[in-house]
Amino acid sequence: MAEALVLFGGPSPEHDVSVLTGLQAARTLSASEALYWTRAGDFVIVDASLEGKDFADGVPRGAKPARITVGGGISVKGGMGREKTYDSVVVNCCHGGPGENGTIQATLDLAGVAYTGPSVDGAALGMDKLAFGAACASAGIPVLSRVAFTDGTKPDFDGPYIVKPRFGGSSIGIDIVTDLDTAWARLKANPHLARGAVIEPYRPESIDLNVAVRAYPSLELSAIEKPTRAGGDIYSYKEKYVGGEGMATAPRELPAQIPSHLEEKLRGYAREAAQVAGLRGVARIDFLLDGDTLFLNEINTIPGSLSWFLWVDPVVPFKQLLDDMIAEAAARPTAKYSAAGADGAVLRSGASIASKLA
Amino acid sequence: MIGVAVAIQVIAVVDALRWLRVAQREHYIAGSVTRFAWRWWRVGIGLPLRGRTSKLVWTRRMRVLAFLTVFLHVGVVIAFAALTPLIVASLISLLLVPATVDGALLLATPIEARALRPFVEQATKKLQTIKPTIVGITGSYGKTSTKVVLAHLVEGTKTVSASPASFNNRAGLARAVNETLSPGTDVFVAEMGTYGPGEIAALCEWCPPTVSIITAIGPVHLERFGSEDVTLVAKSEILETASTVILNEDDERLAKLADTIAAAGKKRLMRVSATRVDADVAVIADDDGGRVYENGKLVGRVATLPTAATNVACAVAAARALGVPAKDAVARLANAPVASHRLETATAASGAVVLDDTFNSNPAGARRALALLSASGSPGGRKVLITPGMIELGRRQFEENAKFATDAAQVASIVGVVGRTNRKALLKGLAGTSVEVKKFRTRDKAAAWVRASLTAGDAVLYENDLPDAYK
Repeated sequence: MAEALVLFGGPSPEHDVSVLTGLQAARTLSASEALYWTRAGDFVIVDASLEGKDFADGVPRGAKPARITVGGGISVKGGMGREKTYDSVVVNCCHGGPGENGTIQATLDLAGVAYTGPSVDGAALGMDKLAFGAACASAGIPVLSRVAFTDGTKPDFDGPYIVKPRFGGSSIGIDIVTDLDTAWARLKANPHLARGAVIEPYRPESIDLNVAVRAYPSLELSAIEKPTRAGGDIYSYKEKYVGGEGMATAPRELPAQIPSHLEEKLRGYAREAAQVAGLRGVARIDFLLDGDTLFLNEINTIPGSLSWFLWVDPVVPFKQLLDDMIAEAAARPTAKYSAAGADGAVLRSGASIASKLA
Repeated sequence: MIGVAVAIQVIAVVDALRWLRVAQREHYIAGSVTRFAWRWWRVGIGLPLRGRTSKLVWTRRMRVLAFLTVFLHVGVVIAFAALTPLIVASLISLLLVPATVDGALLLATPIEARALRPFVEQATKKLQTIKPTIVGITGSYGKTSTKVVLAHLVEGTKTVSASPASFNNRAGLARAVNETLSPGTDVFVAEMGTYGPGEIAALCEWCPPTVSIITAIGPVHLERFGSEDVTLVAKSEILETASTVILNEDDERLAKLADTIAAAGKKRLMRVSATRVDADVAVIADDDGGRVYENGKLVGRVATLPTAATNVACAVAAARALGVPAKDAVARLANAPVASHRLETATAASGAVVLDDTFNSNPAGARRALALLSASGSPGGRKVLITPGMIELGRRQFEENAKFATDAAQVASIVGVVGRTNRKALLKGLAGTSVEVKKFRTRDKAAAWVRASLTAGDAVLYENDLPDAYK
């Protein structure tokens, strides 16, 4: 088995939760070091035995500056001016922002480092609620009417509405509004909507149903989870995470008690969606159940705590989950770029650049 | 004779360690160690080497300081050995250890400034690249609470980052920028602390606020400043670069400063108040929480204020200056967080209500905590205050503590006096009242008594917690 280097943090609103996921993973893998991506955007190697609070105010004591170099992997300066290069699979535990949207995936691809979780394409698609919803719809999976929302957009459904950041991994920045005037006003006021927003009908009676999916060693689904809301309109970021332990201790019904025909349908859609998403690693797919109708809501390609706590049926221990992801990273490499076909023929036969411009 | 001298030197090492710890806790300010040593010799109580409130941490800075202390100490021994017998020289050097540590602190100051320079340069560059709007907050108290509330109010409208906890000096602020400021930050809220003139001006050179807030000027750290007027001058440095200035006009000195700034007419001035509805922004606390006014017009109400009304008013004013709609600011106030250990409420296993205000050390905050104590627990329950009193109030320390104790007697049925630092003052304030007085040597002893004695319906307020150096 290849060595593993857990990566967590990142300049994302979900930085803190990612630290918890990362430390859980590093502890489970008995790793001695981990790669921490600071809120400020720097990479450092830290001791994996640290606690969450050590990251509360900044970079923990003893952190060593690390570099990711194109073609050169991940390295730190060792003693006597020597560089230590990590020949490890990166276990990506970043949530939201550049850790989950394809940015770090592209960086690692260029650096020549194998990593767990989504590839550039999977991450970018999974982070784009508009594109992923449309891709699922085209595969015949029921989704809520969801349209791009800009100033003046009049969707062809009635309120109340839910306005979400188009790109964003959690419930941060989500607004529930009764009318379009308020929704347009939120576009200007809510910084999370600045890069793009989607609007969909809000269904207050619907319940959340989540399932974790992995593709390696074979396509497999976890038990279905029903998060229980502590109150308020939506299952808020605070409810999910500000208990201190991250997602693993949030209130839930597991496995969810739902009629078997619905469970079967949900599982079918989840399998389908995993294909659409180009699933790699462990993802969590979130559904909404409104009465008897199921809708696929979104996919989290790097879910909180990597959703290890959902694997109660079938039972997959966290260590096994991580080991399989690391094996998958080696067995199913991400982008292999190739210049095959660009054999120079065009270059040799062509006339001068000046003549092409003439 | 050599043996005795060596034994004395061993004692000197142990002694030096505890004074180094004092130096660390007192923010490495030269002079602080001798001042403390003087207090001790007068009160006659030693400081334990391993303390409860702070441990000696071997940071790089401490290692440099320890090295310099040893260097100076050896110099002292050699110098006196030339004049007196070795044993006498050793004894003198032992007595002079606190002064030696202060001397080392003095020597270390330029070394520290140099060591910090690359970090400050990095932070400067980062701020110039990210270009956030910088909000500077200073004041004798209320800085952290104001910062926490402000960050929360702005969060719904802009991406905001606040300097953590009390990272409010040159090293702390540089660290906050270098390690926590994300590239996409619109607003950076920086808390700026000072122990003397020139410090905030130096911070503003590389971290220049566009919006500046002074929350209050009060008798805090008077031992370091000298007077409240010097405090005002030092804090006012934060206004230099700002185009918008927010001042708590309920503070007499700040009200005067506001008049001066208004007369100059160069900056946008926002006067905030917790008493005058017509202020630019006013937050008036009442029985149902608080009301928020802008230019005399009611903007909205909030069921509970997260911190003192003047702090909330400062935060709302700054949020307005940063473009947060008034209605949004008021709506967000409802679930604003409370800074930790600054008046938090919890219920103990016994069912008693526990009010934790242990990080507060100012008279205004103490009064507010007493008001909350009076409203906590059930009407028939006991109300208990556990406090060592307030410190660093200079010449007014005795008077302020006596007054606080008298106020407490109006609310509490039992007052637990912790330690000896302010015991006399507190007892004087309690004399002639019907309050039951208990004396505890340490806060732990007081807490043990609270756990054993209080039950459901009772309420206890822990007001302030002194560093170990005070007993």
